[in-house]
Amino acid sequence: MNFLKIFVRNLVNGPSTVSFPFGPAWTPARMRGRIEFKLPSCTGCRACEQVCAPGAIRFDKTPEGLRFMMWHNTCVFCGLCEFYCPTDAIHQSDDWHMAHAVDQKFSMAIRELIPYTNCSACGMKTLASAPNPVGINPPYTPEEIEQHRQLCPACRKKALAERGNPS
Amino acid sequence: MTLLQTLNEKAKQIAVRSPWIYRINAGSCNGCDVECATTALIPRYDVERLGCQYCGSPRHADIVLITGPLTARIKDDVLRVFAEVPDPKVTVAVGVCPISGGIFRESYAVHAPVDQYLPVDVNVPGCPPRPQAIIEGIAQAIAIWRERI
Amino acid sequence: MLQSTTIPLAVLLFPGGVFAVALGLMLKGMDRRLAARLQGRIGPPLAQPFYDLVKLARKRTMVPDIAAEPVFLGAPLIGAASMLLAAALVPIAGVYTPDPILGDLLVLLYLLAVPAVVLMVAGSASGSPFGAIGFSREMALMLAYEGPLVLVVATVALRVGSFSIADIIAYQQVHGAFLFDPMMWPALAAFLAFYPANLGIIPFDIPEAETEVLEGPLLEYSGPALGLFKVMSALKAVVVLGLGIALFWPSAPDSGALGILAHLAKLIVMMLLGVTVLRVSMGRMRIDQAFHFFLKWPLALSVLSLVIVACA
Repeated sequence: MNFLKIFVRNLVNGPSTVSFPFGPAWTPARMRGRIEFKLPSCTGCRACEQVCAPGAIRFDKTPEGLRFMMWHNTCVFCGLCEFYCPTDAIHQSDDWHMAHAVDQKFSMAIRELIPYTNCSACGMKTLASAPNPVGINPPYTPEEIEQHRQLCPACRKKALAERGNPS
Repeated sequence: MTLLQTLNEKAKQIAVRSPWIYRINAGSCNGCDVECATTALIPRYDVERLGCQYCGSPRHADIVLITGPLTARIKDDVLRVFAEVPDPKVTVAVGVCPISGGIFRESYAVHAPVDQYLPVDVNVPGCPPRPQAIIEGIAQAIAIWRERI
Repeated sequence: MLQSTTIPLAVLLFPGGVFAVALGLMLKGMDRRLAARLQGRIGPPLAQPFYDLVKLARKRTMVPDIAAEPVFLGAPLIGAASMLLAAALVPIAGVYTPDPILGDLLVLLYLLAVPAVVLMVAGSASGSPFGAIGFSREMALMLAYEGPLVLVVATVALRVGSFSIADIIAYQQVHGAFLFDPMMWPALAAFLAFYPANLGIIPFDIPEAETEVLEGPLLEYSGPALGLFKVMSALKAVVVLGLGIALFWPSAPDSGALGILAHLAKLIVMMLLGVTVLRVSMGRMRIDQAFHFFLKWPLALSVLSLVIVACA
């Protein structure tokens, strides 16, 4: 007769249904949802492309620069790209509102371009990607990052050596 | 004539409130099926309050939920079952597998994007999508169905 | 009391027809709503069965290639029509007593067997293996539950000395409702076991088991034809519950508006207690379990009551 107890409890307490389609829905804090890509902090290391299991992330070399492409309709939201990104350029938000009409299928993608630029020191053609600030002490200031973005890898190495290590 | 038209409009508005749902598993790993079952069965996400009813027969269905990457083995059966669903119908692809192939993309064993064989209307990406996302997809499908019924 | 000229009206509009369909759909809606509440859900709106019906009317009916088309499409029509007739045979206290020219309890008994037969015919005509399974299960179940029903009706008729529904109600007005008569309790118990089976709800929904045989005979139906089956089952709820009220718990035929309110209240009580609570609290039986159950308890009880009444 246990079910009678459950019936009475359900009748007294009322339905436990969430009001979702008509009201807000609860989202867990660590929900792995839609990917956000921050172009300014991408170093172009392509680690995310390497670890992406379903191949949702792709880097293409184009005449204009390095193109980052990510398609949510292939992404399995495993979070590996965020885990391996050295500069936190990829972040998984908790936005799960991704249901869309089928003609919006290809607008569920992120397309960003890391353009080519000329090195401000030697004039060589180089990618305007962010420097990798991991393990640098003292940390880069935003102005320094902007400055290093305009440098080719060789000049960047030189600049880093000149900056010196205070310790 | 105008009376008939208003009656027709009224009937349309009423009919929209009773979308019956049918699930096709096109070779899914069962993750999305579990989420669909969760959406259907547990009191927390009661879809019956939207008038939805999960039905066992494709003949009764209005909204078809497809899960899975359409494996080569099951492709013909899925197409046959889909043809059994009477018009008007709306198709929802649940999970990334039917939309693009997801983790199985470019495998020789799957005919991944389902929309090259079936007229898919709504995509619900996720691996698997959470129940609220499926409900959201169903709500969009109902909006499309309103135009068709 | 109605004249024979108003019989078409009785079949199509008031106790049968539109009124009975609306009543049946409302009962179904209440059933679904209460079931949802008992399970801790919000549940569909009360008018949901009506919405379903309008939706089904707007869909396309598909006929399988291997189906026998005239039988396949004729079966739901016959089922709904028989229940429409049967609804006109059920008295509603205060406003309606069926004209003897329409028939008596025996006619109602035969009409009540039609939906099961129609489901069998539909299942076998659809050509689907699930329909065939539904067909055989429906037949077994029908053999099991028709016996107790016939005996219950015979018990009541023996007690009253007439098969006329009006006489049965008049007898209970004089001698008190059978519901409160211990001599009739075995028959009442048998009837309480019978009507969930006839309505095809969960412990006994074996022929239409959605999770096993995908609604069995109804598997191949779509659109308006399926809608006719829904109408049939809604009408069946009104008829079977109305029959139970007439047999065991009638109000006075001349009680006016109060009578019809009492009738509705009894219908709702029988639906919610006997159908909803039962169906959400139990799992489905196997067909052999149900068969044994009906041949054991309801049959024994109805035979017992027949013997008691015959000896008394």
